[in-house]
Amino acid sequence: MLGLTGSPAELARGVIGRSAIIVAFLGVALFVVPAVLGGDWIKTLTAVAIYAVVAAGLVTLYGRVGMISLGQIALLAIGTWTATRISYAADLPFPILLLVTGAITCGVGVLIGLPALRLSGLYLALITLMAAGAVNVVLTTINFPNGGHGFTGRTSTRDLSGLQPVGRPGIAGGDTAYYRYTIVVCALMFLLIAAHFASKPGRAWASIRESEPAALATGVNIVRYKLWAFALASFTTGVAGGLLAAQLGQPTAFGFPTQDSLTLLAAALIGGIYSLWGAVIAGAFSQLAPFLFQAQWGIDPNFLLIIFGVGLLQVLLTAPRGIVVQMPKDIANLGKLGAHLFRKVTGGSRSPE
Amino acid sequence: MIEVEGLTVRFAGVTPIDDVTVVFPGGTCGLIGPNGAGKTTFFNVLSGFVKPATGSIRAYGDDLLKMVDYRRARWGLRRTFQTEMAIEQLSVFDNVAMIHEHSGAGRASRKADVASAIDYVGLEVPPAVKVGGLGARDRRLVEIARAVVGAPKVVLLDEPAAGLPDEETEHLSRVIKGIPEKFGALVILVDHDMSLVQACCTTTAVLDFGKLIATGATADVLRDENVMRAYLGTEDVEVAEDVEVAGDGETSEAVP
Amino acid sequence: MISFATTTIFGVDWIFLKPYIVVGLALGGVYALSGVGVVVLYQATGVLNLAFGAIGAAGALISYYLVNHTSTPHWIAYLACVVFGAIVNVVYGMVLGPAFAGRDPLVKMMGTLGLALILLGVMAWRAPAGGAFVRVLQLPTSNHRYTVFGATVNLTQILALVFALVLTVGTTAFLRFTKIGTAMRALASDREITATLGVPVRRVELAAWLGSGIVCGAAGLLLADLFTSLDYTALTFLVISSLAAALIGRLQSLWVTLLGGLAVGLAQAVATPYSSISAYRTAAPFVLAIIALLYLGRHRTVTLSRTAG
Repeated sequence: MLGLTGSPAELARGVIGRSAIIVAFLGVALFVVPAVLGGDWIKTLTAVAIYAVVAAGLVTLYGRVGMISLGQIALLAIGTWTATRISYAADLPFPILLLVTGAITCGVGVLIGLPALRLSGLYLALITLMAAGAVNVVLTTINFPNGGHGFTGRTSTRDLSGLQPVGRPGIAGGDTAYYRYTIVVCALMFLLIAAHFASKPGRAWASIRESEPAALATGVNIVRYKLWAFALASFTTGVAGGLLAAQLGQPTAFGFPTQDSLTLLAAALIGGIYSLWGAVIAGAFSQLAPFLFQAQWGIDPNFLLIIFGVGLLQVLLTAPRGIVVQMPKDIANLGKLGAHLFRKVTGGSRSPE
Repeated sequence: MIEVEGLTVRFAGVTPIDDVTVVFPGGTCGLIGPNGAGKTTFFNVLSGFVKPATGSIRAYGDDLLKMVDYRRARWGLRRTFQTEMAIEQLSVFDNVAMIHEHSGAGRASRKADVASAIDYVGLEVPPAVKVGGLGARDRRLVEIARAVVGAPKVVLLDEPAAGLPDEETEHLSRVIKGIPEKFGALVILVDHDMSLVQACCTTTAVLDFGKLIATGATADVLRDENVMRAYLGTEDVEVAEDVEVAGDGETSEAVP
Repeated sequence: MISFATTTIFGVDWIFLKPYIVVGLALGGVYALSGVGVVVLYQATGVLNLAFGAIGAAGALISYYLVNHTSTPHWIAYLACVVFGAIVNVVYGMVLGPAFAGRDPLVKMMGTLGLALILLGVMAWRAPAGGAFVRVLQLPTSNHRYTVFGATVNLTQILALVFALVLTVGTTAFLRFTKIGTAMRALASDREITATLGVPVRRVELAAWLGSGIVCGAAGLLLADLFTSLDYTALTFLVISSLAAALIGRLQSLWVTLLGGLAVGLAQAVATPYSSISAYRTAAPFVLAIIALLYLGRHRTVTLSRTAG
């Protein structure tokens, strides 16, 4: 968690320690991984980074503010669609394309969020599910742009050979280069979210999650801060969508089924909904696991749905803070158990019970 | 000074506050009454969580009910809740500073104001400690510090002594008594601990079933017959009379 | 008899609309059925069961398997779907219900999402759909056809509508006049007080799970027939339409849920012949649900309790 509390010395140690871990992690991701793994792995890991950003949006909305969104994948689809359409319509430098996509998706998210804000947790979750479903129907009907004209940008020509895929930035055309580009952009998104958590909006969100009346009594403008959270989650998801558009080249509506929103939420809860590291784990679960199952281990990836369902139930019932908190605890407990057994075996009769 | 006039709150078939007109003159004022009398509802109206059906509330000349709820904190309305609601994941400093952050007060004075509030309530914990790790007494003090930081105008304390041992109540009473002088704010204290009310409050108002049944100097109010009846119930003889009257089909009002 | 044959509504002849109205009412009947099941369960237990569709779909698949790959008498196969629905609901409710007992309705709902994921996974794994292969589960009642107001209606469609009506009437009477029904209403309005009154909460909840489970199985069977193909993903997400009906009924009124279900079914079906909006007709339940939700939440509520994790 990125709470900054403790004595000044502790704080300093904490920040340095955390930064070191993050830098090391990025270092491995950027330099070690591409050297060791090839082709399909790289493509999958690119998807992991992208979906981790979407999961980070869930961490913001639910982990920090207490609002559940069952439709983040629909937002991702909107981002991908927007990026695809714009890339055919205009020749923007890629970073600008990402920013514009993020901004538009942000606008859509806020538009959906505005009337929904006054709803309680259950109803808000339901409305996001419904909105996602409606978006899905529209997307399945108008499908993704492929270079045609008009608003939907889709031609119905039979001859698909002349169609260009969504362009990647000049410096990152190949898969490995694009992978690195994606990692950098996603890291920036995480940084943006973390910066929010550590400052005024993060504290306001924490107070809203804890108790709305108390937040109001403190002078927090709940509507404004909830909208801010929606805007942040939608912007970052939109940017992720833009990255996905260029990753896929020619996106289709089948890449964004409604059930993915549920599995990503399950993955986020299992990974740890209160921590941004949990979002990274969620991205890995939702993208790496199917890849491993199908391409590497030859197990039916549908089996994963069962695992997600069971994992979701388990997390809701026993370990709401998720793997990112539970696993270190479990490992610590395991370590203690091991140490205890070791003492018993080597210490003989002197070990205290 | 807070002037309440003709305040009535109705929802779902009950009338938790029934045509209440009362003045809180200043200093520390008590608000007492049996459970369900409408005290917390009254606080909720002041906070803006509940909309009254009719009535007006003027505080220091400003029409409180016209203000949007979250703006009242900026105006200077502060409050503690019956179940303490300090934010566990944030530090003591962050908890107390939050009102400051959202009240439009400048950053320059923030550290000093927060330190002064924490100091005033007698909280001897490093400000950077997370509230989640503190005990009940310290958490209460954090809440009170939140209520007095900056420039409060009205401080509503909802059963601050609930669940605290007697020694702490003494400390609490000193803290509460000093608020009007140190911060220039009007305090309204709701509590069931009569010794606390007596020690802190110069004036007291009493609610029962949503109606105001007494108001005035604390000592007088606590000796008032009607107040004692509200808390302790009517005498045996009178109860029997009431029952007979009710049996005849006539409504029996609580004897005023 | 008055002939409407020459009337056009927004450019489509009445005579072409009729079959869609029939389909819409039948589907709407099943949505209403499920909606009533969802509402009663929510009222009695606080659980909004999003796995309703998945359970029905799984039951329908089991019936399909029994009919087409074994020599089980068909009526037993169909009964199996209903029984499966009842069993899964009861087991979930009795085993996991207590674990979720004190939690927020939101958390309880997420639990059912977990169940839905598990069922989806099992179905996709054991009964993969693919390509040209389409499963069909047609109930024998679909072979009986009648003509009503000049439109062709089969017995299944009539049954769907009749069941919906009977269930609404029956459940309303049950809730008002029986002991368990009254206990359910008490639980719905205040769980804690009801428990202290000595009401056998577990037994009442069991009744609610059992009842909604039976409805769930029946709905799965009917939908598999009415939709002419057994697409378990589509069937799973049909819970949305039932949810829309339940939300229109404000998760409270069974009669409004019935009307809501019919409205959703009609809106979806009747949009079909209108080419301009036809492609979007599957969005009808979503749109109606959103409107219902916005209406439900129109008073700005400040949640006065600590949000549960």
